[in-house]
Amino acid sequence: MSKESFEEALAQLEDVVARLEDESVGLEEALKLFERGVKLARRCRTQLAGVERRVEQLLAEAPEGDELATAPFEPEEG
Amino acid sequence: MSARIWGIGELVREVNAALAGSFPEVLVRGELSGVKVAASGHRYFSVKDGEGQLSCAMWAARADRLRFKLTDGLAVVLRGTLEVYAQRGSLQLIVTEVVPEGVGELQLAFEQLKAKLQAEGLFAAERKRPLPALPQRLGLVTSPSGAAVRDVLKVLSRWEHLSVLLAPVRVQGKGAEGEIARAVRTLSRSGRVDVVLVVRGGGSLEDLWAFNEEVVARAIAACQVPVISGVGHEVDFTIADFAADIRAATPTQAAEIVVARLEEQQRRVETAAETARTRIRRRLDRSGLRVAAAVGARGLAQLPGRLRTLAEQLRRLEALPDRLRAVVVGRHRRLDAGATGLLHWPVRFGAPRRREVVTARLAVASERLRSLVRARGLTLAGTERALGALSPLGVLERGYSITTREGSEAAIRDAATVHSGERLVTRLARGELRSLVLGRDSGAQASLFEEGGPGSGVRGPAHQPGVTEPGSRSPEPGGGGRGQ
Repeated sequence: MSKESFEEALAQLEDVVARLEDESVGLEEALKLFERGVKLARRCRTQLAGVERRVEQLLAEAPEGDELATAPFEPEEG
Repeated sequence: MSARIWGIGELVREVNAALAGSFPEVLVRGELSGVKVAASGHRYFSVKDGEGQLSCAMWAARADRLRFKLTDGLAVVLRGTLEVYAQRGSLQLIVTEVVPEGVGELQLAFEQLKAKLQAEGLFAAERKRPLPALPQRLGLVTSPSGAAVRDVLKVLSRWEHLSVLLAPVRVQGKGAEGEIARAVRTLSRSGRVDVVLVVRGGGSLEDLWAFNEEVVARAIAACQVPVISGVGHEVDFTIADFAADIRAATPTQAAEIVVARLEEQQRRVETAAETARTRIRRRLDRSGLRVAAAVGARGLAQLPGRLRTLAEQLRRLEALPDRLRAVVVGRHRRLDAGATGLLHWPVRFGAPRRREVVTARLAVASERLRSLVRARGLTLAGTERALGALSPLGVLERGYSITTREGSEAAIRDAATVHSGERLVTRLARGELRSLVLGRDSGAQASLFEEGGPGSGVRGPAHQPGVTEPGSRSPEPGGGGRGQ
């Protein structure tokens, strides 16, 4: 999922929250909004957790266009 | 003594030898003017003061090593040797060293480069790119062995879900600037990072110099993803800082900026989710009684089997330790306690995964509840208005009452259906009255009040118009509480 869709989902979620405060929205509509909010929140959480923790270093300068060689990196104790 | 006649070349050579003897090396103070760079790279200029001027030449090999640029008006002390240039017959200073006056040469170089790049618009605010919404994949340009890399990784360890791609470089010494610039370019075109951090721990101006080199500034400006710089301490500003999209005061702060963004995004999501739950819960609480009245008008016993089962399931889910007391207390009062309480529960008490499961089940449950309500021909939206007027508690509170035969739930609406001697139960806002019918007629007939008492309170009373106009707002024995 792209970053844009995170921002998009978050904006929509915040819009849902704003509309839930609107008294003119009927209960049934509000329930629908809430369910949508639950889904949007889940989408946001999925993206927030979308990258696995990893620390790597580039091994050598790769020529342009080539896949970069990497290895795990551990900082020296200091 | 006959005068010696010189050839020009010969004479100049002799003069030059004499000059070298008398002035092996000179230091000259003055201001530069007419600075020119020849195609060969040699610099030609004059140095002058109030009394005169002297032509100067500085060979490319030396001039290229200057960290600052020779510019007109620059106050300097020049070191060099004097010679006469035979072709022109003019005296000139062959410059070996230029020391700016009043300002360090590094400072001068810094100011010159800064002014140059600024004029190009390289530091312009509108060039600055914002930090990505989710800076999760980080490129890191720094020494693999310095304190900076440890500081950065320590802060980054606060956030579980990010990756770091370190481009190891030397951060000081000859050629460091080239390594840094190349590393930035490599990360930029790798497509594997959302943001690049260029960092180095504290040091002298000399130590930090690589970050004041033009190649580094240009690589940063050309980077395809935003760059955060964090070089030296708070007080240190480098050209790299000006070129970066975001300047952090230190390496630690550069990492903080990233983690803070991720934490902020998480907070926004959770705040929004929490607010949504609070609001929907408030909505349900407010309309809860109405829903209960709509679907439970004749009590739970008359609800469709599936709805009853669902209500029961919701109640059981509700009966979790933290909510248990509230449920026991509220069960008799609130038919929908399960539904509303449950909607709230996952937020506060669930472990993340469990919370998701329960939230999903909730969504299903509320959908079922709504479709069941619909199946009964009662759309919530449609009945809300009517229900507003029918909220049973509200009606009773205003002094209305509901009268039924003893042992029956059906409200009595017509006096003609009641006979003398029947026992009736009249529900008030608080308590019930049991009465014996003495008689009836078209007008109101007083009932004999056998007893009154606190009773069990009002429990999901009829929503149908079995309520009547009260004789008075506060029924009194013998006067109010009349049936029909």
